[in-house]
Amino acid sequence: MSSTTDHELLTPDADRPVRSYPKFIWWGLGESTNGSPLFYLWMFILTAVALVGANAWAVQVADGMIVTNMTDHVSWGLYIANFTFMVGVAAGGVMMVIPAYLYRDKKMQDVVIVGEILAIAAIVMCLLFVVVDLGRPERFWHLIPGIGRFNWPMSMLTWDVIVLNVYLLLNLHICGYLLYMRFLGRKPNKTWYLPFVLISIFWAISIHTVTAFLYCGLGGRPFWNTALLAPRFLASAFVAGPALILIIFIVLRNLVGRNIDEAPSHLLIKIVRVTILINLLMVISEVFTEFYTGGAHTDSARYLFLGLHGHNALVPWIWTAVAFNVVAAVLFLSPWVFKRTSVLTIACVLAFIGAWIEKGMGLIVPGFVPSTLHEIVEYTPSLTEWKVSAGIWAFGLMILTVLLKLAIAVFRRQSEESLQ
Amino acid sequence: MRFSVDISRLIRRVRRRGSVNTSVAFGAAALVVVFAGLAWIFPPPENQNVSGQEDPLPSQLRSESAKLHPVVIRKPTGPPRVLTGQTDAHGNPITVSCSTCHSTRKPNSKTKSTKDLNEFHGSMVFAHGNLSCLSCHNPDDYDTLKLADNTRIEYRDVMTLCAQCHGQQKREFDHGAHGGMTGFWDRSRGPKFKNNCIDCHNPHTPKFPKMQPDFKPKDRFLDKVDH
Amino acid sequence: MTDTNDRDKKKISLPILQQPSTRRTALKIAGVTLGLAAFGKAISPLMVIPENVSLSEFLQQHYKELSEDDKKEIFARLESEAKENYGANVSISDPKPIPGVKFGYAINLSKCNGNGKCMEACNQENNHHRGVDQSYIRVLEMTKGSMDMEQGNTTYDHTVPQDDKYYMPVQCQQCDNPPCVTVCPVEATWKEDDGIVVVDYNWCIGCRYCEAACPYHARRFNWEQPEIPADEVNPNQGYLSNRIRPQGTMEKCHYCLHRTREGRAPACLEACPTGARVFGDLNDPDSDINWVLKNKRVFVLKEELGTRPSFFYFFD
Repeated sequence: MSSTTDHELLTPDADRPVRSYPKFIWWGLGESTNGSPLFYLWMFILTAVALVGANAWAVQVADGMIVTNMTDHVSWGLYIANFTFMVGVAAGGVMMVIPAYLYRDKKMQDVVIVGEILAIAAIVMCLLFVVVDLGRPERFWHLIPGIGRFNWPMSMLTWDVIVLNVYLLLNLHICGYLLYMRFLGRKPNKTWYLPFVLISIFWAISIHTVTAFLYCGLGGRPFWNTALLAPRFLASAFVAGPALILIIFIVLRNLVGRNIDEAPSHLLIKIVRVTILINLLMVISEVFTEFYTGGAHTDSARYLFLGLHGHNALVPWIWTAVAFNVVAAVLFLSPWVFKRTSVLTIACVLAFIGAWIEKGMGLIVPGFVPSTLHEIVEYTPSLTEWKVSAGIWAFGLMILTVLLKLAIAVFRRQSEESLQ
Repeated sequence: MRFSVDISRLIRRVRRRGSVNTSVAFGAAALVVVFAGLAWIFPPPENQNVSGQEDPLPSQLRSESAKLHPVVIRKPTGPPRVLTGQTDAHGNPITVSCSTCHSTRKPNSKTKSTKDLNEFHGSMVFAHGNLSCLSCHNPDDYDTLKLADNTRIEYRDVMTLCAQCHGQQKREFDHGAHGGMTGFWDRSRGPKFKNNCIDCHNPHTPKFPKMQPDFKPKDRFLDKVDH
Repeated sequence: MTDTNDRDKKKISLPILQQPSTRRTALKIAGVTLGLAAFGKAISPLMVIPENVSLSEFLQQHYKELSEDDKKEIFARLESEAKENYGANVSISDPKPIPGVKFGYAINLSKCNGNGKCMEACNQENNHHRGVDQSYIRVLEMTKGSMDMEQGNTTYDHTVPQDDKYYMPVQCQQCDNPPCVTVCPVEATWKEDDGIVVVDYNWCIGCRYCEAACPYHARRFNWEQPEIPADEVNPNQGYLSNRIRPQGTMEKCHYCLHRTREGRAPACLEACPTGARVFGDLNDPDSDINWVLKNKRVFVLKEELGTRPSFFYFFD
């Protein structure tokens, strides 16, 4: 991260008054790409992984999606699983925004920018995961209202396209405005951001609700066709999102040494203590209904949890997720989570991975197994799919890193100015 | 047993009604066959609509149109011929008609199985209810068949014979629900072609034969697991 | 702040990082350039798109917005592509729905013996990928006494029919309330006036949402470019039906509209050796299909989903 030494070297630039927004962005880009060897190593690794992913995707476009392990039976796989999960992460940031602005938690307001930056990175990843799942990505323009044919309001996918892009724009505006004002040393004008913040709270809920509606509106897929899906999505999103933010705080404290107040972290932990239990309750409700009722619509759940007719590819996945979620819940509810960073880290990592499995592989794939004609075709992602997914994760982390560094640079500049 | 009972009941009913030769149902069935037969013998001129894109007829009118193409039902070529195992001067096999032998033999109405025969037809398998040979074959003229009321009927018109017992199948056949078809569903554009009963059902062993499926989708990762 | 700065200072010990800002900027520019070059190299396989997709194809409008002249041009292009890529002389037509006709299809489950000739005919008629023996039909071997598809099996490989089984072919049900059409984000699939749900293969973006939405496993995705030997290509092709599909797009049963809209029977019906299939015009009271609907106890698959199929099943 940028040090005083670097900063002194940059002072000629900084001294020159930077006023316009593009110049601020340019300045931020310069600041956020300065850093320690660790930073450059980190960015180098991310770039390498992202390039491997880009290459794998390009090969997939050229050779066809035969290079994935998806089939006519399991026609969505790792990409859409990651997409669904990342929508949740993007929405999860709102768990900082609500206390910050609805309950006017001053300390949360100071760090709420982290949640908004996370939302930006996550939404970009969502959009990329959708693009790599397309068989004909060069025809993306068919989706653009006006020049293409946008099947709105009938297709839930068009709703998703709208809400995701608007959520991206909302967060870009809020982040950009607040950082720019802080950079200029001005007090942000509430009329320029507060309405957008309030809309973004509503919108965060909507992106995940709409994404759940993608699946639960399909009558032919009994595993998804449950009214509980959207609430479940939100509950797990409000576990995974804050868990990732807590991890980011821990990393920032350790790596950057930036002094972050403990209060927002503690509030997030308290939030996760509730949401992780709500999520578990909903999973239990779902599992109870499926297994106690029985019948053909239980086949997917049976396949997921117990295996069906000797097919059990997902059984280890889902029980890992269950174990992770339960252990994370126990750790979050224990008092050590406030006292020991190691416990908190483990709890967050377990909760995050648990949610990823449960909502990704554990939700998308069993919707297709057994197929609508009750044929069983199993799915495990191909190497190409892993490469492309890893590439998108790497790209998302690059965005997150650069934006966080930009924010830190703005905050540091402000605190230095106030010292002077 | 069932078939013979049915037939005797049928005959009684026909007699009670005082029909001379055929019941009303048989007559209707025969009319269809005759019409189709005529159409087969005198094929109509090619209809321009067959290849045309435009259809001038709304569907309600289509079936009433006078210009409907026929339903063409394939017909057996005639009475079967028996191979003698000899060839003529040109090397063609010499065949004889059934009556060649049967005119010198006394018909046995009790014969129900080839096991009852001590010569000829011995390799033939018979599995068609409880019928006897002479339920269908005409003892007065072995080159023809006979209906249950002893009316002589040509081999070409075998469907009338079948329809005596298999009225439901015949009715379904007449409405396209039995026997399949090729050609045109829309007869204002072209003819419909259909098989007759014995194209698919061997009259002596009418059960549709078992088949071995030889085309399976070869999906990736689709295990051969019976579930 | 001060303690953290000390730590930062310790970390930054490499001379390259203490270069003056201009040199550092130059290094950054070099890094970005390298990164971009590597990115360009990484995505270079994408160059097949401009190689295979002409500008006019890329900009081609939705089927419903094409003029007759556009169509003529597009069909000519597709015909020359078939010649170039498959070595086959094909002719592409665009038969319109017959006014007043609504197609219906029924299968007699007492007759069907699961021989699979319908699948084979579909494969040949519709220029399906030969590598996977693709077809729009799947035949389920069901257990007598159960309508539960869970008891079914498509991979049976023994003489048919088995005594304790019955056989149920499933293909597109041409629903009157088709979930696949509802979910398509780009209107690449729609229901025509004669009830046939079609796909514009040149408009589909390949998101496979329709495949997830279909309760009948009726849709197929072109995971790769179909392979068909030149002598097996069916040259009589419809733009919305059996023309050779492009990679990465969705396809489905279209009741052989290039045949049925010219009055002919679908290929699967003609191929059926058991006569289990009945096809016709639902609007014609005297049609074969209407006779079946009136005189047989007919059911549709998954009626509870409200898809309202135009595809029926019955037993004798």
